[in-house]
Amino acid sequence: MAAKIHIQEGTATYRKYRIAMWTCFIISLLLVAFAYVDVGTISIGSNKYNLSLIRLDKAIAFTIAILGLQVVVGYTGQIALGQSFFFGTGAYLSAWLVADHSWPFLMTLLVVIPSCFLIGMILGLPALRIRGLYLALLTFGLAAVFPSIVKLDKLYTYTGGAGGKLTSNYKFVAPSWLPFDKVAEGLQKIPFLGGFFGDGPLSDREESRMWKFILFSIIAAICFWLVSNLIQSRPGRAMRAVRDNETSAATSGINLAATKTLSFGVASALGGVGGVIYVAEIGIASPDDFSSLLAIYLIVGLVVGGVGTLSGALIGGLVYALIPDWASSTQSISFLPQRWLQGPTGSLILGLLLIVLTLFLPGGIVAGWRKVKKRFLQIDSATF
Amino acid sequence: MRAPVLRVEGLEATYGPMQVLYGIDFSVYHQEIVVVLGANGAGKTTTLRSISGMIETKGLIEFKQEEIGNLRPSEIVRRGVAHVPQGRGTFPELTVQENLRVGAFIRVDKDVSADIDACYQNYPILYERRTQMAGSLSGGEQQMLAVSRALMSRPQLLLMDEPSLGLAPKIVEDLFERLVAINTEYGTTMLIVEQNAQLALSIANRGYVLESGSISVQGTAENLVKNDAIRRAYLGA
Amino acid sequence: MLYVEHIWVHDMDLLLQRVFDAVTNGSTYALIAVAMVLIFKATTLINFAQGEQAMLGAFVVLQLWDWGVPMWGAVAIGMCFSGVLAAFLERALIRKFDPADHLPLVIITLGLFLVINAVAAIIWRFDPKSFPELFPSGNAFAINNIRLSWYTIFAFTSCVIVLFVLQTLLSKTKIGLAFRAVSSNIESSRLSGIKIGTTLQFGWALAAAAGTLGASIYAANPVLQIEPSMMLRALILSVTAAALGGLDSLWGALIGGLTIGFVQSVVVQYIPFIPNEMSLSAAVIVLLIVLIFRPSGVLGTRAVERV
Repeated sequence: MAAKIHIQEGTATYRKYRIAMWTCFIISLLLVAFAYVDVGTISIGSNKYNLSLIRLDKAIAFTIAILGLQVVVGYTGQIALGQSFFFGTGAYLSAWLVADHSWPFLMTLLVVIPSCFLIGMILGLPALRIRGLYLALLTFGLAAVFPSIVKLDKLYTYTGGAGGKLTSNYKFVAPSWLPFDKVAEGLQKIPFLGGFFGDGPLSDREESRMWKFILFSIIAAICFWLVSNLIQSRPGRAMRAVRDNETSAATSGINLAATKTLSFGVASALGGVGGVIYVAEIGIASPDDFSSLLAIYLIVGLVVGGVGTLSGALIGGLVYALIPDWASSTQSISFLPQRWLQGPTGSLILGLLLIVLTLFLPGGIVAGWRKVKKRFLQIDSATF
Repeated sequence: MRAPVLRVEGLEATYGPMQVLYGIDFSVYHQEIVVVLGANGAGKTTTLRSISGMIETKGLIEFKQEEIGNLRPSEIVRRGVAHVPQGRGTFPELTVQENLRVGAFIRVDKDVSADIDACYQNYPILYERRTQMAGSLSGGEQQMLAVSRALMSRPQLLLMDEPSLGLAPKIVEDLFERLVAINTEYGTTMLIVEQNAQLALSIANRGYVLESGSISVQGTAENLVKNDAIRRAYLGA
Repeated sequence: MLYVEHIWVHDMDLLLQRVFDAVTNGSTYALIAVAMVLIFKATTLINFAQGEQAMLGAFVVLQLWDWGVPMWGAVAIGMCFSGVLAAFLERALIRKFDPADHLPLVIITLGLFLVINAVAAIIWRFDPKSFPELFPSGNAFAINNIRLSWYTIFAFTSCVIVLFVLQTLLSKTKIGLAFRAVSSNIESSRLSGIKIGTTLQFGWALAAAAGTLGASIYAANPVLQIEPSMMLRALILSVTAAALGGLDSLWGALIGGLTIGFVQSVVVQYIPFIPNEMSLSAAVIVLLIVLIFRPSGVLGTRAVERV
């Protein structure tokens, strides 16, 4: 085994390490984006797996919603399962503004964020009285009713009823000053690997996709930055105190009501942002996309990545955006009968993941990764 | 001398990261009443819970010359150890009669009803309340029920955790009288953890004093009552 | 004047008809609710997979019936299958967790929800299938527009019978006594020699069997068909029914079930400004009101943890 490297937190080496890690992350993100800007697939055996930017954009949408769950479930310890409700609310609100009022998508965030924040706080009010399983029950019910609410006849003009609300007439146009073509050209010239990055300059469609992906990534980055600051701030510490022991949090002067309401608000706003990105990518808000199943899948994302870890949200988003899709595009696996590949195999895998991880790796993939990393690299916490 | 009913050697117990018992040794002989004294947090309750298998322990616990330290509580009860936990340990949502039936859960013989009748004879108040929920009984009645419930398993060794806690002095006296009666009538050996040292030593044959997880003093009840340190610490003299 | 009276009579007919519908739906919700109550009583856990377990059991019943097993025999075997499966699931997935730590348990039951739903869909596909008629078809009586179907009568009767059987089982048998002892005080139960794990397994098995009977009766409704997601709605409605009854009372589950059935078919249909599609939302609103204002339910005894 390689010798273990020790890095002291707060030193120049540590800062260099952080910067290097982040640079690597951003560069690989861009490489993936350019490699899969068109319908990109990975082949394993006779099966082709789609890794286009559409999938990644969806992953970003889920990631932001799961980030919200991290705040309310992971950091505040409230078992709120209804994130799909806010995801749907954000999606529909945005779709309505874009389709009926010709707003640009990003502008709708200015309405969606405060509205979802408010709705989340209001719907979170019962949580001040209801705890634990009862809250789980209620929020699950909330998730279950969302499709039937948007299908109401009275709301038809706003929501488009069972058919959904189309927004596909809105196009993201990449600003001309962005040097997409030059980057693509540069990448294509890399020896041996250049072939992965396609031929010639990007088409308008590809440029628009790339632009969307970059925008969404920036939004996600902002969300992560804000949440990580929130977690380390005073209210964030209050949230963790509430999670660890509500009674002692209350006796040490933490305002339970304010802390919980804030975390519900933040979580819901993030759910709304996720919904906006989702509908901006899909081009339609349709009621059954936001059912209680989505609520459960988002919980899968929360658990798979790791409850109470920010980076877990990203892994969770990727897992939920890719696994069901890849499962259904798997045509043949030698040891599995065909029948098992044609049904809701993705849902089966997600369910099994949920159970297996909870049983054997309660911290999710992030905890597993940290364990592995610890063998090679030790970050010593700062001692001041 | 005869072999002890209960022999404990080098008993160690931990609660999470905290060690509570640091290797204690003691024995209880047939038909004895032995009392364990000690301040709060000394490890008295832990000692009893170790014997009845409620927590994992290190060291030797022998009941009737057989190792029981690694058995599950349900098995230990079947061997003849009954435990009245602190705070009564009745079933509040069950009737008095049902509580007694649960006490006889491990028994398969036909005398259960007769034993229940015998218990009602000793405590007529329980007979009066036999269809009431145990949760509606007074503290004293609940303690009667708890003791009766434990006796329903026909134990050879009865463990009692702070039986006097929260009871009026008169009721405590009655309770201890009853314990002595049970001891002579059925020959039930008893290990009692108690704060009320005066009363406990008055009915006990021998006693141990636990201090921060170790036995500091031991002896016959008469000697313990005379012991100056104990008088100061536990008898308020 | 005559005209007005006619309308009134007509409305009364309709109302009565709706009440019958309420009883039909309410009885089936009550059976799933009873399953949840059994598990909640023992472990204060809400099993989100209860509806799916019941659905799986109903599919097993259907499969057996397809293979030629007599109808009620199939139901009995299906109930046993569910019971054994539930006992296994309790041992394998639930027991190792601390019952006071709700999050992992909620997550496990959500995982079960997904897995069971997917497995059922892989084996039996999503297309709805008709279920054998467990009860005589047709109406017990029909006057004017009021029709009381045999199905309604039998569904309600089965529900009451199940509750009686469960109550007898819990109050008169030794394992039933153990189950109630564990529900009441786990520590003292262990000290009385009760094997907690086995007892809880028994509770899970009993719950799953009751749920499977409920789902079979639900699917046997002449107007419904069986398909893997049929329990999604029923789960919410049943949970609400259970919560109305306080989550720990068997008869409360029946009353809760009937109340939810009533809200669904009478209140929502009758009050003009509530749209028809709101029946599920109405249930959730009822759930919200119950949990906020009367968390111990209408018939419940257990104190609810609250801030």
